[in-house]
Amino acid sequence: MTEAAAHAESAEPILRLRGVGRRFGGLHAVSDVDLDVIPGERRAILGPNGAGKTTLFNVVAGDLPVTSGRIELFGRDVTREPARQRAKLGLARSYQQSRLFLGLSVEDNIFLAIVGVGRGHLRPVVLPRKDAELRARAREAARRAAIDGRLGDVVGALAHGEHRQVALAMALAAEPKLLMLDEPASGLSRGERQLLTELLLALDADITLILIEHDMDIALRVAERVTMMHEGRVIVEGTPAEIRANQLVHDLYLGSHYGSEPEGGASG
Amino acid sequence: MSPFAWHPRPMSEKNLVELVIGVTLLLFLAVFPVFGVGYWVSFVLTQTFLIGIAAASLVFLTAYGGMVSLAQTALYGISAFALGNMVTKGAVKGLHLGLDPWLAVVLAIAITTAIGLVFGAVASRSAGIYFLMITLTYAVIAFTFFGQVTQVSGFSGIAGIADRTPALVGDPVTQPNRLYYIALVTALVVYFAIRHVVRTPFGISLQGVRDDPVRMGSLGYNVALHRTLAFTFAAFIASLAGVLYGWWNGVIAPDNVGLGATVDLLIVAVIGGLGRVEGAWLGAFAFVVINNYVRDVSVPVLGGSFNTVIGLIFLAIVIVSPSGLMGLWDRLWDAAGYREGSGPRAAAAAGTAGPQA
Amino acid sequence: MGRLRGRRWRILLPFAAMAIVAAAIAASSLAAHSASVIRLAIMSDCKGAFGGAYELDIGGAEAALAQYAHGKPVSSKKPSAGMTGITIAGHPVKIVGYGCGNDTVPVAISETKRLMEQLKADIMIGPLSGDEAVTIAHYAQKHPTKTFIIGTAGSQDPTLQIAPKNMFRYHGDGAQWNAGTGILAYKKLGWRKAAIIMDDYSFGWTSAAGLIADFCGAGGKIVKRVFPPLNTTDYAPYVQQLPAPSKVDGYFWVVGGTGTGPSLKAYESAYGKVDPKKFVGNLFFFFQSGFADVAPRLIGAYYGGFGNAPGLKTAGAKQYEATMKKWFGPAGFNVTDSFVYNYFNAAHALVIGLTKSGGALGASLNASLPRSIKAGYQVSNGGQVKLDSNRQAIADQYPQQIVKGPDGKPAAKIVGYVPGVDQSFGGFFKKTSPPPGRSQPPCVKHKFPWAGHIKAVQNGVITKKTIG
Repeated sequence: MTEAAAHAESAEPILRLRGVGRRFGGLHAVSDVDLDVIPGERRAILGPNGAGKTTLFNVVAGDLPVTSGRIELFGRDVTREPARQRAKLGLARSYQQSRLFLGLSVEDNIFLAIVGVGRGHLRPVVLPRKDAELRARAREAARRAAIDGRLGDVVGALAHGEHRQVALAMALAAEPKLLMLDEPASGLSRGERQLLTELLLALDADITLILIEHDMDIALRVAERVTMMHEGRVIVEGTPAEIRANQLVHDLYLGSHYGSEPEGGASG
Repeated sequence: MSPFAWHPRPMSEKNLVELVIGVTLLLFLAVFPVFGVGYWVSFVLTQTFLIGIAAASLVFLTAYGGMVSLAQTALYGISAFALGNMVTKGAVKGLHLGLDPWLAVVLAIAITTAIGLVFGAVASRSAGIYFLMITLTYAVIAFTFFGQVTQVSGFSGIAGIADRTPALVGDPVTQPNRLYYIALVTALVVYFAIRHVVRTPFGISLQGVRDDPVRMGSLGYNVALHRTLAFTFAAFIASLAGVLYGWWNGVIAPDNVGLGATVDLLIVAVIGGLGRVEGAWLGAFAFVVINNYVRDVSVPVLGGSFNTVIGLIFLAIVIVSPSGLMGLWDRLWDAAGYREGSGPRAAAAAGTAGPQA
Repeated sequence: MGRLRGRRWRILLPFAAMAIVAAAIAASSLAAHSASVIRLAIMSDCKGAFGGAYELDIGGAEAALAQYAHGKPVSSKKPSAGMTGITIAGHPVKIVGYGCGNDTVPVAISETKRLMEQLKADIMIGPLSGDEAVTIAHYAQKHPTKTFIIGTAGSQDPTLQIAPKNMFRYHGDGAQWNAGTGILAYKKLGWRKAAIIMDDYSFGWTSAAGLIADFCGAGGKIVKRVFPPLNTTDYAPYVQQLPAPSKVDGYFWVVGGTGTGPSLKAYESAYGKVDPKKFVGNLFFFFQSGFADVAPRLIGAYYGGFGNAPGLKTAGAKQYEATMKKWFGPAGFNVTDSFVYNYFNAAHALVIGLTKSGGALGASLNASLPRSIKAGYQVSNGGQVKLDSNRQAIADQYPQQIVKGPDGKPAAKIVGYVPGVDQSFGGFFKKTSPPPGRSQPPCVKHKFPWAGHIKAVQNGVITKKTIG
């Protein structure tokens, strides 16, 4: 991993993984991953289904504990810290299956994302001014994700594409320092993908983005660096151009799939 | 579905009808003792109000926290037992400390809420059937404790609670109207308190915990703490019902927190509708009236067992409308709209999902 | 409502209908009843451990109303079907409802409210069990214009510690029922040291109190008291706490309801077969719920009575039993059962009291209710059960023995006659003394009024032979 080490020299990494592994019984979903992501970077994580991308997200976000290795976030060892502490530090993520609060309205979903990283989780009274301010932020995030037309609707009644938009709005609303999106484009129409790509390209420069994406057009347009995973391990890391040129990547993954719709949704 | 969770939006036609029904009902209840029957004031309605409060604590936990608790009966019993031990004097069972009635009320509520906090903290890391079993354990512990620790009760329970009420409450036997209004006002306060809380950050995030606790964790929330505090809040509500019950019944006994009573409260909440807080009082009313009047109906079949008939009525309600009487109302509303030709989608929008964009 | 378009208003129809029904129900309870009608409620248990006594209780009360107040049972097989034509002192008496308790306090109180407040009964005959009676005694205290005559209940508090002026009991409490039985264990079985196992609630304690007072009064010693909780299923740990059979002369066994059989089985698995001479019990030794399980193990054992005297051959007993058979023969009751007997006497006393008060209720009725009443199984005091100043019966008691009946099945046989047992045991139990409990009463030597006056009963005839 000399390449990773060289990359890390350019700035203090916002995320540093060392020897991270996650086992499910006998299955090594993620093994021995080293990764450095510097502030403001746009990173894509690629790999075939079952490569361990989502598991990697889960251990980084704290939804799953690691079975080995160390995770540093914003220069702090968070290996043993729960998901909520990592969220407080400035990490926001989305999920492959959107994982929204189906019984709540769009606005309340986004509201929760904002309150979650702020204070007053337990405030049991309505404070009109404070709430209005929070809700204004929620509506702004909804506007950026182009879902502001459905603010009052209960999320359970929305279509799939709209769910992705709500998930994105929630991720944006938290104003994270590190944003991790798990296949944000899956299930979106061509037009919606276009919107998504523009949105990602227009992201604040200080937001660090890690993206799992099967849609190569989006991934390679947005990302500055690409990490390629296979069977739980990082096999290649480099710029989009380097990745495009890499024979191994072609053999393993890109091949005939390049630029086309990936099959199946669930990757490991 | 939790209709109060959303931020204020234009009032739908259904909301308006419900508001009109609610206000009419409230006015009716407010003047009822003036011309109403003594028994309906002192027994049916006062009991409906206070059982409804206990059921509301369960509906709150279920509808907004996704926690079906079997401990609410135990908690309201604990409150009544605490009140009984502290307030009574002389030749009755229990500690009969003879404290000032108001002080005893405050302590009963505080003790119950504190026990709710401990119960909640222990149960908060479980969900689903495990949560149900833990709360069932609380119910069994409460029953056994008060049955066997004769210093604080014993099976015959503590009597004479109604002899030592605060002056405001008076003698519930000779002045039933006072307790009626106190129970009514308390019920209203509880109802609006729940409606308020579920619109606050705490309430909305509780609903988030209900829908997806793991996701809430990754958004930065302490899920166990939320569950614990929700349980504590519900214990507080249940403790109010317990104090009212002590005054109203005068006696509290271990069988008030036995399995039968625990199931009864669940029945109240289920037939009322676990999805909406109003259902708690609707269910309590149905429960009290059915229990009270069906036994005077002579039953030619089933060996004349009115208990079976009561069971069948409850079963029928749940089969016809799994979401209870409130759910029945929601469905009737939708159906009425559908027949009118505005279409099911529009009806659903007006009725349950808010205005479409 | 202007926003209600089209036919939406129809949604309100079911609610309007419900409102009308509710109003009708409310109005029907409001309907003033004719002042001259006397409203009577009979409270019993139709669920729980004593649910089986429901018809027996109602039947006992209704037989008295039929015999002495012109009542006509709607069905001679099923007393709870109701009764018509009851008239006392020119006033019609209406049975407004039957209470259905389940041996628990909450149901007892809500049924009492239903009967007394919703159905506006003036008088209640009932309830059936001890804790229920305690609750209803507190209720009675708060409702002085109503009158309560206890049906069958064994707790001491309602007439000793609480003792509301409008509550009457024409039968003994659980301690009275066992009077004389402890003396028999001392004199007839020669026990000196005994252990006791008792249900850990008020009836268990009260019942045990009678045995303890009596046995210790005669000079016996209780070396160990064990109290399993009510509804215990595994009695092994409690039986283990009892001294071994070699260490004591015998055991007082005061475990009732569904626990009698399992507790005896737990004893058998620890110490082998039950020796009936080492066991003395209370009424649960020969009780509906345990016929199959309990009595066959205990052929020969003595036990306290239930205020009744099955097989007593006196004119009063025969007359009472004939009366019961006359009205409810087809129902197939065991007419000697004390559930029947005690409710019968309660209703009989009510008829006498209402006759004397001319149908007047409240304080007037309370003053008129008889302070002594002729009762089938009463022999002393000229066959009259007398009330003490707390309106509690002073009644004869009959220790019994389980024997093999002619059909080979266990049968109850009265063996002793204990005349005139009062609730205070001659001043031993007082209003101010702690009520029976885990350690109450203490074991002390004391001469009770009946000591030395207990007569043997042979073949239902009271002999002159003193047995204790």
